[in-house]
Amino acid sequence: MELIMLLLCGGFAIVTSLMVIFAKNTIHSALWMVASFFFMAVLYLLLRAEFIAILQIIVYAGAIMMFIIYAIMMLNIRQEEGEKAPVRKSKVVGVVALLVLFLELLVVAVNKGVLAMHGPITDQLMQKYGQIAVLSNFLFSDYLLAFELASILLTAGVVGAVVLAKQKQ
Amino acid sequence: MVEFLSILIIKTLVVFAVSMLIVAYSTWIERKVLGHVQLRHGPTRVGFHGLLQPIADGIKGFFKEEVVPDNADKPVFILAPIISIAAALSLLVIIPFGDSVTIMGHKITLYLTDLDIGILYVLGISTIGSYGVMLGGWSSGNKYGVLGGLRASAQMISYELSMALAVISVVMVSGTLSLVGIVEQQAGLWNIVKQPLAFFIFIVCGLAELNRTPFDMPEAEAELACGYNVEYSSMKFALFFMAEYAHMFVFSAMVTTLFLGGWHGPLLPGPVWFFIKTFALIFFCVWERSTFPRYRYDEVMELGWKVLLPAGLLNILLTGLWMVIFNI
Repeated sequence: MELIMLLLCGGFAIVTSLMVIFAKNTIHSALWMVASFFFMAVLYLLLRAEFIAILQIIVYAGAIMMFIIYAIMMLNIRQEEGEKAPVRKSKVVGVVALLVLFLELLVVAVNKGVLAMHGPITDQLMQKYGQIAVLSNFLFSDYLLAFELASILLTAGVVGAVVLAKQKQ
Repeated sequence: MVEFLSILIIKTLVVFAVSMLIVAYSTWIERKVLGHVQLRHGPTRVGFHGLLQPIADGIKGFFKEEVVPDNADKPVFILAPIISIAAALSLLVIIPFGDSVTIMGHKITLYLTDLDIGILYVLGISTIGSYGVMLGGWSSGNKYGVLGGLRASAQMISYELSMALAVISVVMVSGTLSLVGIVEQQAGLWNIVKQPLAFFIFIVCGLAELNRTPFDMPEAEAELACGYNVEYSSMKFALFFMAEYAHMFVFSAMVTTLFLGGWHGPLLPGPVWFFIKTFALIFFCVWERSTFPRYRYDEVMELGWKVLLPAGLLNILLTGLWMVIFNI
């Protein structure tokens, strides 16, 4: 049952991601991206990572895509842009980068197996305390430094955005 | 397994039917209360005091002509009301109507599920619901529609933040994200006493998210000729309408759950208290609509970003301080 769901949602995630690239209308493209995020969220759910799944929906499908669609609507790009721009160089770079990434994943998977299976966060632990409790325990003890660094990075981003917005006036 | 499934199916049907009935009749409440506030009668013709009016309206909606504008983006135009209503209905799943009861030896909980991430689910899915409004406005190929959609999305993005901040301070006090857990923890003292500022922020943000007066910018009739749903007709319009009222019901239920103690109350059984509180809040929504004038658009943005957001952050800070000092 879980395998069927995994294959179905994984497949749909790939198809919708491809549709993001191939859709001609910009808004349609953005909507396919929302759909792809939803299928990703289901994949997280299958891993029993409810919290990550709902964050995927709130942050990516909700907030970020909302901003992107808002920007597209403000720019009023409604006509379908049919002409194919010759961007050969970037395409080659993209394909090479993709292959390198894929190879890396393959090497890791062959050498060490699926990493998450050996981690300290197990199904039994999550069932006992609930997923959020387990996650926050690790986040605020072992990974505190990474957590704080990420929040500094985000704050820097916010400050940068304010500076950019203020410069125009 | 069969027993579990049949109980689940029956519960789902009951929750769906009751909620749809409430959604239909909150339109009646709205028209009746608005009428009496404005010294009119409201609907009186169909049934006793117009009680059958929502049903008549529904039947009328089905039989109306369905118009899709020529320059509309058809797939998105059809998708938008579906997103709206689907998001509104999926929120019904986690409303805790009451504690568990025992019927014929089976222990039955009066809520469909108790998610570990309950309140985050509400925030996430209601964000998705606002796509419906936004895309509905954009796809109709109408200037008023696009303006309404843009206003709606800007407003929802702004107010979602402060709403989430208000929710965070409630979660801090409760120590759980599950809605059932939050209600159970309020057995002695309701959260409105502990978190009055968060309650205020949540109510204001909720009204803005619902696009209700004084924040009904997306459909300001005088400026936008009804806004995002201007090109919609027949059942598609009705779906938007239903989604709006379903959201109002869910909002009232959420305020009840987060701040007013959910099913807790003296003498009467739990679900009765839940519905009393929820209907009081629905009445409040209608009441304030008939009382307040509409904000100007820039005032709405200013209130969201310059008043409610700092207030929400301050509230979190104060709650944290309070918890540290009194060692809770």
